[in-house]
Amino acid sequence: MSSTGEATDAPAAFFGFMGATSALVFACLGAAYGTAKSGVGVAAMGVMRPELVMKSIIPVVMAGVIGIYGLIIAVIIGTKINVTGYSRFSGLAGLGAGLSVGLSGLAAGMAIGIVGDAGVRATAQQPKLFVGMILILIFAEALGLYGLIVALILGTK
Amino acid sequence: PHVPQQTQATMSSIDFQDWVATWDFEEWLGQIDPYLWANLGVALTIGISVAGAAWGIYITGVSLLGAAVKCPRIRSKNLISIIFCEAVAIYGIIMAIVMNQKVEAPKDGGLSEKSYFSGFALLGAGLTTGLANLFCGLCVGVIGSSCALADAQNPTLFVKILIIEIFGSALGLFGVIIGIILAATAGFS
Repeated sequence: MSSTGEATDAPAAFFGFMGATSALVFACLGAAYGTAKSGVGVAAMGVMRPELVMKSIIPVVMAGVIGIYGLIIAVIIGTKINVTGYSRFSGLAGLGAGLSVGLSGLAAGMAIGIVGDAGVRATAQQPKLFVGMILILIFAEALGLYGLIVALILGTK
Repeated sequence: PHVPQQTQATMSSIDFQDWVATWDFEEWLGQIDPYLWANLGVALTIGISVAGAAWGIYITGVSLLGAAVKCPRIRSKNLISIIFCEAVAIYGIIMAIVMNQKVEAPKDGGLSEKSYFSGFALLGAGLTTGLANLFCGLCVGVIGSSCALADAQNPTLFVKILIIEIFGSALGLFGVIIGIILAATAGFS
């Protein structure tokens, strides 16, 4: 392991950069899936009930927040990497952090997309279901939050 | 009687530390030229971003052209969705040019630790930007297609669905931000 001042060796740099990459890429995939799937649902139900469209953008916003979780961890890991003094310990911790927020963001984004799609279509037909849809979306968003918490713990090592 | 001595080492006599040391990422990664990673990163940035933009453009374009047969008024407004997808390709080419400036031929000393570091930096930046733009292009394409179809049935929906598209296009910007942060650490000289 290098101490401050020694050049960063190849595995430390490789795993550190792959951590930052995986944090953003997988979270982006989850956010993109969530945005697209619920967006299609909003557009479909907006034809019949245009007044409900602004309320139904909530799943899209929550999917976007998943992308922001990935961005936060990628910035934290990416700014820690340095040409000198970046130890293999930090590199592998960065890989762990990136994979944890990325893969849980992917899962959460997919859940938000599918629930949002079904939820907005159901809310258009039965307005009492709006609160139920929000509750389910909050549980799905919490999954991404768990990944963010673990990644913050790992990424600040 | 003469008892022959054991001349071959058995598994039990090999030191565990020596066995673990035979699996070394450093030697494995050090055998691959860092310029492979660097140029691959530059290529993946532009290649995968353009793939995402193209995918989004054809998803939107097919729906737009189909819907505009019966409803030609939607044609000009919904070209905005096509432009959102094209923006993803422009992010890719900007990042590829920025990263290309960093790749320089090795000077007198040959390869150093910094060269390997920069190779991985450009690979990470390239994969991040390329894949984020791919997913962003897909997302904006799907929503743009829905936007065209909804606009054809109810003109007031166009601006509302466009808000969802803007959320989608933010993902490509995230990729560019992280790409710039990672590529800025690279330096081959």
